[in-house]
Amino acid sequence: MRNTFDEQLSLLNVELIKMGALCEEALAAAMKALFDSDLSQVTLASEYEREIDQKERDIESLCMRLILQQQPVARDLRAISAALRMISDMERIGDQAEDIAEITKHIEKKGTIERVAHLKEMSVVAAKMVTQSVDSFVKGDVELARDVILKDDVVDADFNKIKDELIEVIISDKYEGKDCIDLLMAAKYLERIADHAVNIAEWVEYSLTGVHRKE
Amino acid sequence: MKSRIFRATVSVGLLMVLSTIIIIMGVLYAYFDKQFVNELSQEAVFVKSGVEKNGVEYLNSLGNTKNRITWIASDGTVIYDSIADEAAMDNHLDREEVKEALESSVGESIRYSSTISEKTVNYAVRLNDGSVLRISREQYTVWTILAGMFQPILVVIVAAFIISAVITYAVSKMIVKPLNEIDLEHPEEAVSYDEIAPLLRKLSLQNKQIAKNMEELRRQRESFNTITENMSEGFLIIDNLTKILSHNSSALKLLGISGDVENKSVLGLNRSESFCKAIDMALNGNHNVQKMDVDGKYYQIFANPVFQDKTVVGAVITILDVTEKEKREEFRREFTANVSHELKTPLTTISGTAEIIKSGLVKPEDIPHFASNIYNEAQRLITLVGDILKLSKMDENNITSEKKPVDMKDVIKRVLDTVRPMAVKKSISIEFQSEDCYVNGISPILEEIVFNILDNAVKYNKDNGSIKIVLENKDGHVELSVSDTGIGIPYEEQDRVFERFYRVDKSHSKDIGGTGLGLSIVKHGAAIHNATVTLKSAPLKGTTISVLF
Repeated sequence: MRNTFDEQLSLLNVELIKMGALCEEALAAAMKALFDSDLSQVTLASEYEREIDQKERDIESLCMRLILQQQPVARDLRAISAALRMISDMERIGDQAEDIAEITKHIEKKGTIERVAHLKEMSVVAAKMVTQSVDSFVKGDVELARDVILKDDVVDADFNKIKDELIEVIISDKYEGKDCIDLLMAAKYLERIADHAVNIAEWVEYSLTGVHRKE
Repeated sequence: MKSRIFRATVSVGLLMVLSTIIIIMGVLYAYFDKQFVNELSQEAVFVKSGVEKNGVEYLNSLGNTKNRITWIASDGTVIYDSIADEAAMDNHLDREEVKEALESSVGESIRYSSTISEKTVNYAVRLNDGSVLRISREQYTVWTILAGMFQPILVVIVAAFIISAVITYAVSKMIVKPLNEIDLEHPEEAVSYDEIAPLLRKLSLQNKQIAKNMEELRRQRESFNTITENMSEGFLIIDNLTKILSHNSSALKLLGISGDVENKSVLGLNRSESFCKAIDMALNGNHNVQKMDVDGKYYQIFANPVFQDKTVVGAVITILDVTEKEKREEFRREFTANVSHELKTPLTTISGTAEIIKSGLVKPEDIPHFASNIYNEAQRLITLVGDILKLSKMDENNITSEKKPVDMKDVIKRVLDTVRPMAVKKSISIEFQSEDCYVNGISPILEEIVFNILDNAVKYNKDNGSIKIVLENKDGHVELSVSDTGIGIPYEEQDRVFERFYRVDKSHSKDIGGTGLGLSIVKHGAAIHNATVTLKSAPLKGTTISVLF
């Protein structure tokens, strides 16, 4: 009995890593779509999103099975409940990555994006946060998780700068207004993705230390 | 074992005590019984003679005896009884002992009381007149005696129990001691019972076998580790839950992981799509090869499932660094594209010009102009093909000529003679400082190196610019450095100018000419002489190329 429990726990671990990896891929695809205007990435991003949804359901039922059949306690229970929360954050990351990719289709002038210098920077930081949050889970590294939580401020600051830059663009050329609004949406989604990465990091911290920040 | 010996001995002791009591009681009781009857018969004979002489008188004179004496007439009526009233007694003819005595002069019977705690033994004799004299005595039965002896028996049993317990404890300890003292690591050295000697021998044999097997296993593991550790390829063995069972350090190095990974999921090392796919497929029983890149390096992943009884129990993953191969491949593709492009450009011009002439559209007086076009392009092709040939020769490393000391000053002078006309055309001044320097090398190749450097210095110089050539001995080496005041090379492209066909000016402008192979030839030529080429350049200010032989 114990043996199957351990096996199922490690299966849960593997599935979570895979789901995290899918989130990274989805975000990478969305970024390629946004910055390289590569429309083939849009379909790729939505495929990833579907896979992520499927993984969420799989992991959810695995967690339920674990809780109901094995009645875990202490650390194991913490890990499983953290996993349940993490997957919903990961699922949101997948959704928002797809949304960013979708927006790309509506951007008409490819030049606008280059005038919003901080968008690229923000995307790099957000992507790194997602990677690091998954890494912190994989390696069980509390320090890495805390680092992700701290990076949230960088992304928030970037978002404000992007807003200012977009206003500048609209003032100088009102015909770019439509694109600017799309880009603002993309930036907002990125900011949300970073928030979800922070959530994941917080759950990692919780499952390792037993203390959640927001308590 | 101790408790078992203890139990057995104590129960044997108790059993012995009990059986002894039973046997002794049985034998003694039977003996006393017989004795008792004898006594009665003797008394009967004695009383009989008294009665025959004196009748009831005699009986009355006996008074109260411990035995009950009854005299019964031959018709069964009681004449005298020492205890009860004769008149009240019923006919005794049906009594067993009386019947027996009437028939055969003596009779005997035993009657138990209702509680069987007592019995009455009757002995009867027939008198001469046909009447019967009976003597009865009450006696305790065996059970009554036993009940009376209960206390002493209990004491004996308890005593037996205690004594046997003490003795057994000591004995069992003594028996078990040598067994406990057997050193299971070295059973052959134990001094113990002969009975378990075969067991100990077997044990020692098995110990040796196990030690041998362990040693064998350890050696196998060690050699396996040595082999895998020395592999430059990454090597991982995982189970069907992706847990790492074995790995070598190359695998961790290639994947950029440090720390302990044993028993963790392999997906913790890398979770890129292709890596996940490789492992998924392998664990589904498919051999597969995937490509992935990690931090700008290209890896090939060979994932092979491991079967046991037709089910996949794990996978063996080999990671190969194919960065070099991938880069070469890329380089080769670029080179082929460049060669075809470079060869095609002059050919197109030649073909086009020739076509115009063929169609008769060119006036005779214009023919020389067109012809010179064709001639120039053909010349360019010849130089290009020449350069490619030179390069490929250097590439193949089959330089047959022997290295010998070459006077560099002389070489530079000769090259300067060929370059000077072009320099004069652009009014470029050339300064040449030189010591007597000898390089152990191959003269034509050295000439080629110098020519290409100087040719570039002139070609990419500004009009009225200058070139400074310095040749000097430096710490046992010879250094040639050529500085120009030309257009320079942008910083970001300085790494790439030694690549074949790489040109800063992407338009491949014909004004300057050149094939894009010059610096490649310099680099390869220098490599043959084990020389290093360094490039310093500031855009728009000039370039210095130094070769240290």
